This record gives sequence, structure tokens and C-alpha cells, in this order.
Amino acid sequence: MKKKVGIIACSGESLIGGTLSRAAARIVVEKLRPNQTIILCQPLFMAGNLEKHGGQEERDFAKNHPTITIEGCEEECAKIAVNRYSGTPKATIYIQEYIDAHPEVKTNSREKLGEEGINLAEIIAEDIAKKVDELYRTK
Amino acid sequence: MSEKKVFIIPCSGIGKVFGSISRKTAYILVNELAKGKTALECLPLIVKGKKEIIQALKENKVIAIDGCPLKCSYNDLIEAVGKVDAQFMTTEIVKENRDLKPESSIIPIGENTKALSRKLAEKIALKIDELLEEN
Repeated sequence: MKKKVGIIACSGESLIGGTLSRAAARIVVEKLRPNQTIILCQPLFMAGNLEKHGGQEERDFAKNHPTITIEGCEEECAKIAVNRYSGTPKATIYIQEYIDAHPEVKTNSREKLGEEGINLAEIIAEDIAKKVDELYRTK
Repeated sequence: MSEKKVFIIPCSGIGKVFGSISRKTAYILVNELAKGKTALECLPLIVKGKKEIIQALKENKVIAIDGCPLKCSYNDLIEAVGKVDAQFMTTEIVKENRDLKPESSIIPIGENTKALSRKLAEKIALKIDELLEEN
């Protein structure tokens, strides 16, 4: 049986990029590739004192499975966390590139994506799904 | 009136609806109920160790909102900042309101989830005033 791909979204609340990263991750895992992917909880992944508080499972999963990180801003929190604790992610998606490529989409609300925002999340999710397929082909 | 702010740090989880309640609660506080008194910060950035953010958290009050017993927000804040001034669990507001079963949908969140978030935000708003009075 092929290994599932771990999807780690930045999950940040401060910017629209975090909101889009979350939405895209959910679309991939719930609708586009439900049998090939799993969401890894980024805060849990990064949580301190994991031995005491649980959460080591997230890091172990990422050590033994391919991962795709989704970055909501240039800080690359998800990628840095995976690199630090589990090894290099197989792919990284940068939300800002999609925001720049779709200036027609109003992305001024970090709370409510609206129809246009959801459409953009779907475009991002389609690209993530293609990456998942590539990883499946190469494994 | 105190110039200090209260930073609201939700757990940011996206695996279950309890994380969504934490996020929605934070937005209600920052945009409505405690507008001007609160600010939102990104948990992953705090854990990453962004210096200016950690300094701001040390100089102000901090509330963690967690969505599961692993308490990522609380534990991450203790680790990175060294303190949390108040902590709330979204699971508690669910237990206190059995008639409002949160829908499983995370994007978009359901009406019960929104109602639970508002109830939790109202509770936290009282705590925010208390914390600012202490200054």
C-alpha cells in the first residue's frame, strides 16, 4: 500500500495567506485526494515539550511519509518546522504567488474568504493535488 | 485607560472543529467585542521565535484559546514567551452548551459553531477587562 502524503498548512491567523492555506489544505484532504492525504496539525507539530504533552506522532509521521507544506507568508513556518523536526518536505506551496497571480481576487479579509477567496483556494488545492499525484507516481 | 493590549492566541488547529471555534472566537474578540483592546498574533510565528512578537507578548497580557487537551497554544506560549495570563478551552464551551452541537464542517463553519464561538468570546471579553484593570 502506498504511503499517504502529509499536508501541513501554516495555519496563521494574522494574514489572508494563512486563511487560504487552511482552506486549500481542507479542500485537498476532504474533496480532492481524501485517500492519499492526511492533515498534520501544524501547532501540534511545533508544540514544545512534546514528550510531556503528546504530539510526537505528527513528527514521526512526517519522518516516515512524504510531506507538502503550504506557506501563508514569507516566514515559511511550516517548512522550517518540518525541516527542523522531520526532514525536508517534498514540496512547498507559496500562497503569495497565487495572490500575486490573481489580482482580481479581493483578499482583504483574513476572516471571510468569500466566493472569490474560496475559488482561489480551489485553484491552490488543485495544484497541491497535482503535487500529491507526482509524489505517488515517484514512490 | 491602560495602553496595554491583550494578545489573543488561538490554537490554529485545522484538524477538528474545536480549532475552528478557537479561531472564530479570536476574530469576534479582535473585530467586535474587544476591538482596540486586543490583537491577534500568529502562533506558528511565535513558536518560530520571531523576536519582536515575543517581546510584545512579554510586555502585554496574553490569552491562549485551545481546541484540544494537548493545549498547543498554552504550551507553545509557555515555551516561547514564558507566561500565559489566562487560558480557555473551546471544549468547555461545547460542554456547557449541549444544545449547540458543533457541526463537523471546518470550511465553512456551521451556525452552531458560530454561536458557540460567540458565547466563548463573550466570556473571554470579561476576562480581558479584568486583565486590563490589573495594569
